[in-house]
Amino acid sequence: MSSDARALPARGWVTDKLFLGLSLTDYLKSLLTPGTIIAGLIMAVGIPVIIYRFAYGLGAATNLSQTNPWGIWIGFDMLAGVALAAGGYTLATSVYIFGLKEYHPIVRPAILTGFLGYLFAVLGLTADLGRPWNLPVPLFISWGGPSVMFEIAWCVVLYLTVLFLEFLPPVFEWLGWKKALSLANKTTIGLTVFGVILSTLHQSSLGGLFLMAPTKLHPLWYSPFIPAYFFISSIAAGLAMVIVESGLSHRAFKSRVDHHVDVDKLVVGLARGASIVLFCYFFVKLQGVADGDRWHLLGTGYGLWFLVEIVGFVLVPSMLFAWGARNRRVTLIRWTAAWTVLGIIVNRLNVSVIALNWNAADRYVPSWMEVTLSLTLITIGISSFRWIVNRMPVLNEHEITGRHHA
Amino acid sequence: MIPHDILTLYSAKMLEYGIAILFLLLFIPFWRFSQSTATALATARAAVPARKKAESGWFPVPADRLFHQGHAWARPDSDGLVTVGLDGFAARLVGPLASVALPQVGSKVGQGERAWRLMTDDGQGVDMLAPVDGTIAAINTDLAKDPDATIADPYGKGWLVRVRPDRLRANLTNLLTGQAARRWMDETVAGLQARLSPGLGALAQDGGVPVSGMARVIDAANWHGLARTYLLTSEKEDGRA
Repeated sequence: MSSDARALPARGWVTDKLFLGLSLTDYLKSLLTPGTIIAGLIMAVGIPVIIYRFAYGLGAATNLSQTNPWGIWIGFDMLAGVALAAGGYTLATSVYIFGLKEYHPIVRPAILTGFLGYLFAVLGLTADLGRPWNLPVPLFISWGGPSVMFEIAWCVVLYLTVLFLEFLPPVFEWLGWKKALSLANKTTIGLTVFGVILSTLHQSSLGGLFLMAPTKLHPLWYSPFIPAYFFISSIAAGLAMVIVESGLSHRAFKSRVDHHVDVDKLVVGLARGASIVLFCYFFVKLQGVADGDRWHLLGTGYGLWFLVEIVGFVLVPSMLFAWGARNRRVTLIRWTAAWTVLGIIVNRLNVSVIALNWNAADRYVPSWMEVTLSLTLITIGISSFRWIVNRMPVLNEHEITGRHHA
Repeated sequence: MIPHDILTLYSAKMLEYGIAILFLLLFIPFWRFSQSTATALATARAAVPARKKAESGWFPVPADRLFHQGHAWARPDSDGLVTVGLDGFAARLVGPLASVALPQVGSKVGQGERAWRLMTDDGQGVDMLAPVDGTIAAINTDLAKDPDATIADPYGKGWLVRVRPDRLRANLTNLLTGQAARRWMDETVAGLQARLSPGLGALAQDGGVPVSGMARVIDAANWHGLARTYLLTSEKEDGRA
């Protein structure tokens, strides 16, 4: 067979699609930037840690115990990761269901962020599970219908699939598969509707997990409303994350962005939405304190930390978003979004780590390997985002079409 | 057995109703505050006389600036120096910028002569003309970090240089201000509209401001040439000079 004749086009495809048109040597040289070197160093330490965790188990790699079975892999990777990945359903719903078409240019990066966020949250969860090879059991073999875990497991699996399918159009555009692209575009509305239903379910159910721990979770954070807290705050987290991501992308991938889109105008619109969501969230949190009659706890150490969370990370950013949007202060909006993202991480860690087992003698502090694994997953996530954005039409939908016309 | 105090429960409920009512009362003004723009910006403009703007269609033409037809502006300041920048049209025409190559402090610039260069992502540059004669007294060093301030705020933070003028009175006679500046800007915009691509036309119908990088929208292949034509720094313009 003419193996040589086949090899030539294949090499062209690899060079064009994977090495950005560079020779392998030039491509490898182009990777020698401070960013990739730092990412490489983190992975060089982190990947052996991941192998160690799976080889020697949770006891050897973590500070988890029977008293504290959930650590930062649940609190940070899973709970915060899933909340911050909510930009995918928030933006897709706004554009495809509510008809806010002007936000269409930032849907693809939001969906990609969402997909990678969920993917690495699931990988973090896999590391956290004592027997990850048993994952198919609750999904397919032994259903636990009344369990919140059952709902979360199915929802996350289905939504990860939905996000993957939602992200297929840029992949097909990149590969030049026109028929597949046409088919994928036709599924957009259906996938978006399915995605928002699944997100509503599991974003709230992640909070619902803590309904089972009224004696373990500090009374200021425990509330029958906690599923609603998680869902409402996920909308703010998604909007804030899209603002942060768009700012960083437009700085890091200047040559790839669509310069015909006034991103600042879109950021102002997102800030308006985030300000309203955070404003509502603040009052719902206040209702939780009133409902449980927890006012007397606000003067304690935990109470002050609770006030830092709901005033410093909720009410203040709500006001700053509103003021920034009104006065079109895009830089202020971007910093406020970063602050909100931090606030969501603080909230999820408060619920799952800091205020959980607050009165137990055995307090949990993550081991260096737990921190390293989380950091490694984030690094791989960012590197994946960069790899995809550098090749596929994510930040600029007309990029490939335009090249063909030219 | 859990002790049950009906009065405590009642007061807690009253507080919840109170918070709900407070939320509803505050939500309306907060919504109006966060969702509005025009009133706030108008108030801000009124509060800062130096930033008074007389709108000319798409692009503001501040009443306190004098315009060179190469789309640079000049503002004589009380300390005897002249602040110089590029107008909103030039910013949107060329933008987004990778950097702005400014002249060194102490160097000479001449009215109608090339003075600074707008550098774009693709490594090409578009020169612009100085609106006055004089010596560079200061440059806006903040542009090194944020060159796109020239687009976001061309009449404020996006200023370029401060010039110690040599013959300001003579220079001023060649600059446009007030009605003449607005008319000139309107004519420029009308010329641009005639060249518009459908994509930019849709924006105009929306009533929005044209996107950054208009020249690329109009003529992607030769947008630098187009930008230089508008900024009077094309080779043809040089030949005429």
